[in-house]
Amino acid sequence: MKNIPCPSTATTINRRRVLSGVSGGLAGIAMHSLLAQTNGDATGNGRSAKKKAERPVIDPAKPYEQRPSHFEAKAKNVIVVFCSGAISHVDTFDFKPQLIKQHGKPLPGNEKLVSFQGPNGNLTKPLWNFRPRGESGKMISDLVPHIGGMADDICFLHSLTNKSNTHGPAENVMNTGFTFDGFPSMGAWINFALGTENQNLPAFVAIEDPRGMPQSGPNNWAGGFLPAAFQGTPLSTTKPIRYLNRPPEITAEADSEARKAWRFLEEQRQQRFKGDQQLAARVASYELAARMQLHVPHVMQVSDEPAHIRKLYGADSANGTKAAFANNCILARRLVENGVRFVQLFNGAYASGGRLNWDAHSNLKTQYDTHGEILDQPVAGLLKDLKQRGLLDSTLVIFATEFGRMPMFQAGTFGRDHNPLGFTCWLAGAGVKKGFSFGSTDAFGFRAQENILTAHDLHATILYLLGLHHQELNVYHNGIQRRLTDVHGKVIHQLLA
Amino acid sequence: MYLRELVSLSNPGFDPVMSIFQTTSKSFLLPLVPSIVFAVFSHARANTIDYQRQILPILKDHCYKCHGPETQEAGIRFDQRPSMLRGGDSGKPAIVPGVPGESNLVRVLAPHFEPRMPPEGPALTTAQIRLLETWILEGANWPGQMHLKASDITSNLWSLQPLNEPAVPQGATSNPIDAFIDAKLRAAALRRSAPAAPVTQLRRLHLVLTGLPPTLQDLQRFNHHPEGIDRAYAESVNQLLDSPRYGERWAQHWLDVIRWAETVGFETNLERPNAWPYRDWVIQSLNADKPYDQFVFEQIAGDTIGEDAALGFLVAGPANLPGQVGRDENAMRQARQDELDEVIRTVSQGFMGLTIGCARCHNHKFDPILQRDYYAMQGIFAGLSYGERRLRGAKNDTWQSQLPKAKDKLQQHLKRREALKKELGLEASVENIQREDFPPVTAQSVRMTITATQNGSPPSLYEFEVWSSPDTNNGQKNVALASHGSIPTASSFALANQTRHFDNLTDGTVDRRQAFPWVAAQSGPAWIGIDLVEPTEIARIVFHRGNSTPVEYTLEYRVSSDAEWQLLSDATRKMPREDDLRTAETLNLADVSAAKKREIAENSTSIRKARSEVNRLASGPRVFAASFMEKPEATWQLGRGDPMQRTRQIKPGIPKVLGEFRLDDAHPESERRIALAKDLTRNDHPLTARVIVNRVWQHHFGHGLTDTPSDLGSMGSQPTHPDLLDWLAFNFIKDGWSLKSLHRRIVMSDTFRQDNLPDAKALAVDADARLLWRFPPRRMEAEAIRDSILQTSGKLNLAVGGRGFSLFKQRGGLSGYDPIEEFDQSGWRRMIYAHKIRMQSVDIFGSFDCPDAGQMRPKRTQSITPMQALNLFNSTFATRQAGFFAQRVEAMSDDTTASQTEMAFLLALSRKPTTIEHTAMEELVKEQGLIQLCRILMNTSEFLYIP
Repeated sequence: MKNIPCPSTATTINRRRVLSGVSGGLAGIAMHSLLAQTNGDATGNGRSAKKKAERPVIDPAKPYEQRPSHFEAKAKNVIVVFCSGAISHVDTFDFKPQLIKQHGKPLPGNEKLVSFQGPNGNLTKPLWNFRPRGESGKMISDLVPHIGGMADDICFLHSLTNKSNTHGPAENVMNTGFTFDGFPSMGAWINFALGTENQNLPAFVAIEDPRGMPQSGPNNWAGGFLPAAFQGTPLSTTKPIRYLNRPPEITAEADSEARKAWRFLEEQRQQRFKGDQQLAARVASYELAARMQLHVPHVMQVSDEPAHIRKLYGADSANGTKAAFANNCILARRLVENGVRFVQLFNGAYASGGRLNWDAHSNLKTQYDTHGEILDQPVAGLLKDLKQRGLLDSTLVIFATEFGRMPMFQAGTFGRDHNPLGFTCWLAGAGVKKGFSFGSTDAFGFRAQENILTAHDLHATILYLLGLHHQELNVYHNGIQRRLTDVHGKVIHQLLA
Repeated sequence: MYLRELVSLSNPGFDPVMSIFQTTSKSFLLPLVPSIVFAVFSHARANTIDYQRQILPILKDHCYKCHGPETQEAGIRFDQRPSMLRGGDSGKPAIVPGVPGESNLVRVLAPHFEPRMPPEGPALTTAQIRLLETWILEGANWPGQMHLKASDITSNLWSLQPLNEPAVPQGATSNPIDAFIDAKLRAAALRRSAPAAPVTQLRRLHLVLTGLPPTLQDLQRFNHHPEGIDRAYAESVNQLLDSPRYGERWAQHWLDVIRWAETVGFETNLERPNAWPYRDWVIQSLNADKPYDQFVFEQIAGDTIGEDAALGFLVAGPANLPGQVGRDENAMRQARQDELDEVIRTVSQGFMGLTIGCARCHNHKFDPILQRDYYAMQGIFAGLSYGERRLRGAKNDTWQSQLPKAKDKLQQHLKRREALKKELGLEASVENIQREDFPPVTAQSVRMTITATQNGSPPSLYEFEVWSSPDTNNGQKNVALASHGSIPTASSFALANQTRHFDNLTDGTVDRRQAFPWVAAQSGPAWIGIDLVEPTEIARIVFHRGNSTPVEYTLEYRVSSDAEWQLLSDATRKMPREDDLRTAETLNLADVSAAKKREIAENSTSIRKARSEVNRLASGPRVFAASFMEKPEATWQLGRGDPMQRTRQIKPGIPKVLGEFRLDDAHPESERRIALAKDLTRNDHPLTARVIVNRVWQHHFGHGLTDTPSDLGSMGSQPTHPDLLDWLAFNFIKDGWSLKSLHRRIVMSDTFRQDNLPDAKALAVDADARLLWRFPPRRMEAEAIRDSILQTSGKLNLAVGGRGFSLFKQRGGLSGYDPIEEFDQSGWRRMIYAHKIRMQSVDIFGSFDCPDAGQMRPKRTQSITPMQALNLFNSTFATRQAGFFAQRVEAMSDDTTASQTEMAFLLALSRKPTTIEHTAMEELVKEQGLIQLCRILMNTSEFLYIP
């Protein structure tokens, strides 16, 4: 800051000289680390929790800087592939020979079952054949043959349950831990706890499906009562970050001169408010925005990828939706490759009678044939690509959905109703076993039976892989030390590599 | 008195005598009835154990560390008999006097119990355990606490102690606020700052009270007031508190607290189109300085005094729509519990600063709130439902007066319809449940062919009945039922989320909440058929309309599968229904001329119009607000909050620690809410005034006196200035619960008017200025930023009230909201008038911590993010407003860049540029245009901060 002129000589100094003196001035602004004084009730306040809380220490000038985990992490970055609308486990990853044998008969013990939408009909066998995959011989259906090809790298969880059988609340549970609206999402918690490696990109990115927003919409990447800095940034290959670039009517020169002038005014104010961290943080946030303007378009250039990589993901597909989703998968890889901490990749959009997402109540075969084509190769391509680049050693990939579907067809339809009693998610990559299956549902895939899991357990495990104790990552909000895992959650140690 | 010792132990400095008698006398010391259990066992067995000598030392040494006065792990404390009788989170009583075998204390002390108790330190000896067992067997005799029941709950929580007027500290100042602040500062060896520069004071006052910066006129008047700054300041205070802009700003603070929004939330997120009258009610109430006790009363029981809009408060939160709730019993009960839970949270956190919601599944872990209290509160609102209600008032009165005329008009059209029908000799119209009787025929099969529906949508029926003729042996019965073996069929059925199958036609169920209709796959002709088990003599067909009503159809039968179909009935001589939308040309009526058909169609149209007008007027203007049924269902306490685990019925009431209602089911529903409202607004309620006074303070200084504004419980933060809080609360009530008087008190203090500059020494001691050695500057909220930009650009539209403007291209519904980027006049209103969509981050301003109305947000976070920079620097809104701002500057200044630079500063920052700023900025204007200066001024911290 030594070049800032004192006011008495200012009249003799023109603006260009004034500004040139401070153009690199940010580096000179002392930025002391301090306990998140700008974060209001989200961090420091409330009486200390009884249990030890390892609350992150956040410099308001650098909310995204890397922060230490509680203990050594197995995974550095996370990609969540989320299938909105509830993908059927019995038609994909949860092979049930009894369901095939008993096809057309009522579900024993639940002959008159009324579920979310009403009465159910008879047991209905999977609509695709299952066959053994990879060395592990894992039975996976022909709906997802490419993913099946990666079975030896995947750790399947067959005994997930959800406490709600309604899409919105259930998606909330999977991504925020609560049925209610307004809680911080998993990505926000992780961003809050750990920051991110690359300071030129958002720390937490939510990639929307090309067909539209997931059922629970921005809840899935909300900051809730954490500071807004930690909420997810929605962007995709078809929807760039809003207002990333200067308005077209403003020239590059005008923009750059305006920025310099703005910083000059800010530094004038800092002269008066010496040691004010918030002012420093605001200048820093504009700097970060400027760097994002440079780096985000670069990382989003998925067309730069060589042909064989685009082919691997299916980005060359004539099916426009599949190609767009494949591009999103490539983008996800490029983001973690560039040090983005948490990427959420949505497959499937909002409620649409199963037309745009996995919610096939009436016509599962036709709808899933469409959706499977879009999902399968790109996700398998992502796994393969991460693996061949060695990124799977440091990246945790999670495949999740809000619940499963019934082993029966609904009465008078050709689709399956919601089933929160048992469904499948899977993990792959950093820190988890390969070619491994954990937990199970009963003979028909109706109800989780062995090693029953909740979203809280899944969240606790994800945090654990990132080096975080789920009980200790909490903030005070309206009377409670809130956590991602509510008051539940057990780390699933059995699946750790 | 053991309890007295306890209080003094755990809360030094508190007057134990006062606290015991004042807090406890009301709620539980009066019924000095020994517990029955004690009565039985104290007589049944000799007391061989001395609690003080033999039991207390064991509990103290081994248990108090986690379950004592300081810490209550698992929500239980071993220094209070009632707590042990209740048990902790497990819900199992720690002691059941006389029955050691049922006492959880004995169970957890068993040698192999997991986790081991106590978890650390030496285990209890067998002798000690025997001693505890004997003590319990003998009735758990506990001198001094035997009169307390399990439900008696006491607290030394600061916020539950009686509200008194603390003495104002002695000092140099005559202003009590300053005296309290100075006393604390002195103790920390700090000093209040000198008065802020006049313009800083003015800007601060304007932004805090109205959320808008001063105009040039305000500035002129203030700077050149003949009687000096103090007089000018006092006049500004009055002017701003009288301004409608005041209510517009402060209403937003209240809407944040209760997470009010105009959509339902969750995945459907449908619009609540008539929610806005509540927002206007809040603004008007604040502007009118409605006493706060009245403000509270109306939001809980406004229906009893004609304040319907106020009840928008109770249903401010999200609630899933009935259609989004599963049809299984568990899901339906859960949904009801969830929607009532939102109400309990709104009331208890909003007014009481208590997190009663935490006691839904178990006794509150930290505060003296029982699980029973949660359900007692639920009982108060057991009659509540979400939806719209009539908004009484002037508009409603007008509509009611217009009703008779509208009804007459309808009658005329109906008369005309009857005349037409008579003149043409037509039969009655098709009914919703249409019954067709005919001379008995023997049929093997029956079919119905539908060629038109009343609104053109696909043919649909709920149920189709075929009745045997009365003179058959078994009496008349519906032989079409699937249970009789009949087989339905149809030309097609729709594939929808729910079943639309033709099996629905003969399932015998017509309850629309449980059953489903048959719906054809598409519009246009469709048929259904029923094959009876055997040829049967039939004499009647009944069909129930489904999603549409058949208006053109034939009913036919045949005696065997190879016989010809014979006509039973059709609609060609039936008077068209009022809701029949077919044009005159497409009406298929036998022996009716085209002219008459036209007359019929026109008449139907007139009837529909007139009827909808009658309905509109009769139902009156609507507001989305709570409605209540007169006879609510009983409220049950639920084991672990599980709606399927009903444990016992609970009467409506307030938390035990706050007192007791005597209400039984005989009282009208509204009495419950009136009782709650009256209790909350009694002058000696310990919470109501403290909570609101703290909220008001928070929005003046950025932090409340306690930092957890909706939680004055033990997990909340202790107040920095407890005496000041009590003094303000006490005098707030004394001033008739006037919020404006409270504002005036605060903004007239020197504490509020002091300077905002940092000071290294003070920063080191008190970085957040919680002791108020300076006025802590802070970034404005999203709404104030948008409003200030518009005021500065000269585009702010000050239209008041009514339906909100849209920030998105849709007002509700599934996610995927596209923001509107270019607004006109209608979108340049103050942001409180923006239609509020739940869970949808607002374009540009969402990144400025604008709450999403998912969870209650009594205090906003304040983050600093690169998205803010991108939004304020690059968005269409910001750049357009910068353009308008530049035009305004040009119009208001000379043609010189010097004059323009100065005017831009004055409008945006209420001051002229310094010399150095002037030099630098004028050159920017010269080289890059005035608009660039305007653009960056709206990005400066100075513009964005409450100074």
